[in-house]
Amino acid sequence: MAPSLKSIDPEWAWSPFVPSAEQPWNRRLAAHLRRRSGFAGTSAELDADIAKSPSEAVAAICTAVEPAEFRIDMAGLARPSLAGGDARKLPAWWLYRMLATPVPFLERVTLFWHGHFATSAAKVTDPELMYRQNELLRRHALGDFGQLVHDIARDPAMLLWLDSATNRRLHPNENFARELMELFCLGEGQYTEQDIRELARCFAGWEVRRGNFRLNPEQQDPGSKSILGSTGEFSGDDGVDLVLRQSAAPMFIVQKLVRDFVFDEPAASPELLEPLARQFREQGLKTLPVIQRILSSNLFFSRHALARKVKSPVDVAVGFLRALSGTTNFVKLAQDLGELGQDLFFPPNVKGWDGGRTWINSSTLLGRANLIKGLLDSGATRFNGGSLRDFLTRQGTSDSQAIVHRLEELLFAVPLPPAARAQTVELIDRKTGDWEKHLRGALHLVCTLPEFQLA
Amino acid sequence: MSVSRRGFLKGASVAPLAWGIGSPVPHLLRRALADSEKKVDGPILVVVQLSGGNDGLNTVVPFQDKRYRQARPKLAIPAADVLKLSEGLGLHPALRGFADLWEREQLAIVQGVGYPQPNRSHFESMDIWHTCLRKSDPRTDGWLGRALDQWSATRTASDPLALHLGAEKQPLALVSRQVRVPSIRSLDQFRLNAGEEREAISQLVKAQRADDEDDLLSFVQTSTASAIDVSGRFGKLRDGGAKPHDYPATALGAKLSTVAQLIAASLETRIYYVELDGFDTHAQQPAAHSSLLKQLGDAVQALNRHMADLGLGDRVLTLCFSEFGRRVAENASDGTDHGAAAPVFLVGNRVAPGLIGTHPRLDDLDQGDLKFHTDFRQVYASILDSWLGVSSEKVLGGKFDALPAIRAI
Repeated sequence: MAPSLKSIDPEWAWSPFVPSAEQPWNRRLAAHLRRRSGFAGTSAELDADIAKSPSEAVAAICTAVEPAEFRIDMAGLARPSLAGGDARKLPAWWLYRMLATPVPFLERVTLFWHGHFATSAAKVTDPELMYRQNELLRRHALGDFGQLVHDIARDPAMLLWLDSATNRRLHPNENFARELMELFCLGEGQYTEQDIRELARCFAGWEVRRGNFRLNPEQQDPGSKSILGSTGEFSGDDGVDLVLRQSAAPMFIVQKLVRDFVFDEPAASPELLEPLARQFREQGLKTLPVIQRILSSNLFFSRHALARKVKSPVDVAVGFLRALSGTTNFVKLAQDLGELGQDLFFPPNVKGWDGGRTWINSSTLLGRANLIKGLLDSGATRFNGGSLRDFLTRQGTSDSQAIVHRLEELLFAVPLPPAARAQTVELIDRKTGDWEKHLRGALHLVCTLPEFQLA
Repeated sequence: MSVSRRGFLKGASVAPLAWGIGSPVPHLLRRALADSEKKVDGPILVVVQLSGGNDGLNTVVPFQDKRYRQARPKLAIPAADVLKLSEGLGLHPALRGFADLWEREQLAIVQGVGYPQPNRSHFESMDIWHTCLRKSDPRTDGWLGRALDQWSATRTASDPLALHLGAEKQPLALVSRQVRVPSIRSLDQFRLNAGEEREAISQLVKAQRADDEDDLLSFVQTSTASAIDVSGRFGKLRDGGAKPHDYPATALGAKLSTVAQLIAASLETRIYYVELDGFDTHAQQPAAHSSLLKQLGDAVQALNRHMADLGLGDRVLTLCFSEFGRRVAENASDGTDHGAAAPVFLVGNRVAPGLIGTHPRLDDLDQGDLKFHTDFRQVYASILDSWLGVSSEKVLGGKFDALPAIRAI
């Protein structure tokens, strides 16, 4: 039995994972790595991963580069969505990108930042600005967090979202200044109301003009400001730097990363997070090395992390399709995910999605089951271009036992209860009727079980 | 007339009973029949959460106060436009619904509500209202969730004790240790699409898991089981119930008409929770605020009238609150920033109608914000002790003086 989370040595937690007899490096752990770093692994990916060491497998995932061709294709694909001026078309584009990309890790981290700097098209309305923000998040996803914050502060979608586009010298709008500290960099309680008022003055004159950032010199406030213990004639950029320099910043970000990549609950203690926060600080707030360390760690591959997350709606849908090499009607899928509480480009508020248990309630559980049912019933859903039967047969799994085993391996972070396994085998083995239909019915059944909701 | 419980159950005794986890059917049937004879008459609380921070100062307007006009050269409501409540106080002109409730003595306005050391973060302040705890305390449940825990000890009902209606995440106020509160978007959407596998799914979801130490898995499991049960029950209601009329065609109107439909069907649910979002009016406030207040007043008025028509006026109390009010001085974007104290509204036949407490002073501010004089936990204490019949001291973690807000019968 592994020790409880409280008694875990932080140094051990973040040291590279060494497989043991108790926790061997196998397809189950590789599937965990693929689920958390991307959305899900295919059977071939799991095979490739276990042929390497865990740290080599993580390194390959973390250092993969999106081919330029793919990027150009995706940009081209976005154009028609943008041309109509309707931001409602963007979610389907992103879902497609998540599924088609050879580097799902990049999409996963971009999605993390979308939830972090949660900006909604409901207010911004212009899809072009939302798209540009999405590209900005992707560009800096694995780079320098400080640069990301500087760029997001000048991002037109963000400026419109938090009303900083209407910042006037005499009446600075506090919305952006508040969220910069509370939600983007430091966390609640790390500043005073007075800090917010003063910081807001730094952003006076930061405007959006014809879809672009503009500094309006007439509205700037050149006066002296006192922010977080420093006094000076700070500009907006100075203000961002002052916030980033706070010791609370690295801790705040690594805590969110651990919650996103390792476990939903309980909240990790500052002691446990300290080695990561130290690394993040010492390496100048570089994101990739911290995430790579998290994904390679003892803690990540321990029982404290396995199945200790609730899948987000995107995890449910994109994970399901990726694991089974599936494709579907993405416009419909995007709508369905909105119903389940994860409307891409339309987060519920500036705090983003709370995740964890808040994904789960009666409506969303029925909705998740119905989403899978809808995917399986739709003629637009194909597995590696064909039927589920052909897909499984081609993978060498054609008897019911092997099929259930394979589905379990690809889609589940916890083993199925034996009764469920037996029932599924029985459903697949029904003698009368269409076998493809039986397979799909069985797949729907397992995906309705509580086990399916955990990652 | 309402859909009677008996009619509601008629379909149920033909179809297999879908509620009641793992019990043998004959027992369930007996209980269901016994329930159908039982009179459902407990008090019901409808919570309307105004998310984003409602500008209380432009909701209950001190229209004769000079300072009000000085602080709000652009946003002040003209004295001629307010719906007058008393000498010097009036409602925002969009609140015709509330004005009607006021005339009919169905509205109590608790003024100057807040809490010490106000927090001006939406999320933090909302969490404080939901849990009655500050950030330094572990917050695992909400005030209504704790009330549910007290009820669940003696519960025989087969309906959920509380329901959240809406697409947003479940409010922390409803989170309880023992009771899973369903969140439903709409009755239509609340069903499990399954073919021949339905029965197998239902059984396998409820089957015992080997690792019952895994609290995350057991949380998902009990939630799934409850979802499937409740959806079975609502299926019958959906197919048999008449849709109430006379609700405004707004998001809140639709939610409250669903609430009314469920109350009219004699569900044993005691708490309904809905949200109206959009009150974070940092910029271009007038049009947005006006439209939200109209939506609020009209929908709450419709619910109140509907309940009175059904003879249920004595059973339904509506609470409207927001996480904070807004800064007294307007900003440069024709909006207002986060503030502190604000009014809370109670609606129903059993409220003590009128103003409770004075309007906060405009010449005695805390960092530009109105000061509270009534703790929101006093509002809760009144509701818990005098309405829901639950010990407020246990729920609130201390003794708070109830307000003269609810009349005894």
